[in-house]
Amino acid sequence: MVLVAERTAETDARSQFAEEAIGYLDTLYRGALRLTRDPAQAEDLVQDTYVRALRYQGSYQVGTNMKAWLFAIMRNLFWDRFKGGRPEDISLDGDGEFALYDTLKDPTAAPESEVLDGIAAEEVVKAVEKLPELHREVVLLVDVEGFSYKDAADVLGVPIGTVMSRLHRARRQLQRSLYDYARESGIVHAAEEGA
Amino acid sequence: MNCRDCLRNLDTYVDRELTDTELEEVRQHLADCPPCEDLYELRAGIKRLVKVCCDEGVAPEHLRSKLRQILF
Repeated sequence: MVLVAERTAETDARSQFAEEAIGYLDTLYRGALRLTRDPAQAEDLVQDTYVRALRYQGSYQVGTNMKAWLFAIMRNLFWDRFKGGRPEDISLDGDGEFALYDTLKDPTAAPESEVLDGIAAEEVVKAVEKLPELHREVVLLVDVEGFSYKDAADVLGVPIGTVMSRLHRARRQLQRSLYDYARESGIVHAAEEGA
Repeated sequence: MNCRDCLRNLDTYVDRELTDTELEEVRQHLADCPPCEDLYELRAGIKRLVKVCCDEGVAPEHLRSKLRQILF
């Protein structure tokens, strides 16, 4: 009887875990699409993420942030599988994390915020997908998924300061891409730029 | 707070990662400084746009079924 009860408890725990995990399918799939930029690869990545999650179910602590845990698995798989290893290259981060703030107010790369209304959704997705992976993943975590800097840092295995500097650089690049698009598509006119 | 300090804190302000005191200082500066306020609007606008545009779409049904078989 005790054995039966134990088995039932085990099955319950597993299906509870599975139910909670599958609740994040859409959000993981969207993240995978942005990372791989390919629907077939995104499917593979998501499937492998769940297989690995199931295998390491024991390391997940009930009541903690499952979404962050799943994203960490997926993100590590992405680098291992598609990029030949997890990034050690910190050249993108450069030195002097906040030096770039000095040039933040760069009028040549700053559309007015009203201009944003005229930008098509697919152009925004394109601009995000053009970011280098190290920058793209932090935008996905913080801006799309709403992770705190702390949770994003845990997922990425980097200090919070690195999250902040990557995010900052990513946003500058996004701002530049969207501005270029707005100019090319006539949403911003050259005459207005000088005004 | 001057413009330089404000700009240094703009990302963390947009991301709601500041302490209440810092948040109030930035808010006060933005209220008094239209150029910084413009930049804040732009930054916040891009963040909103990225969220809305990248948060669409659902996983294919066949993937969901396959995962249900694997998980349950």
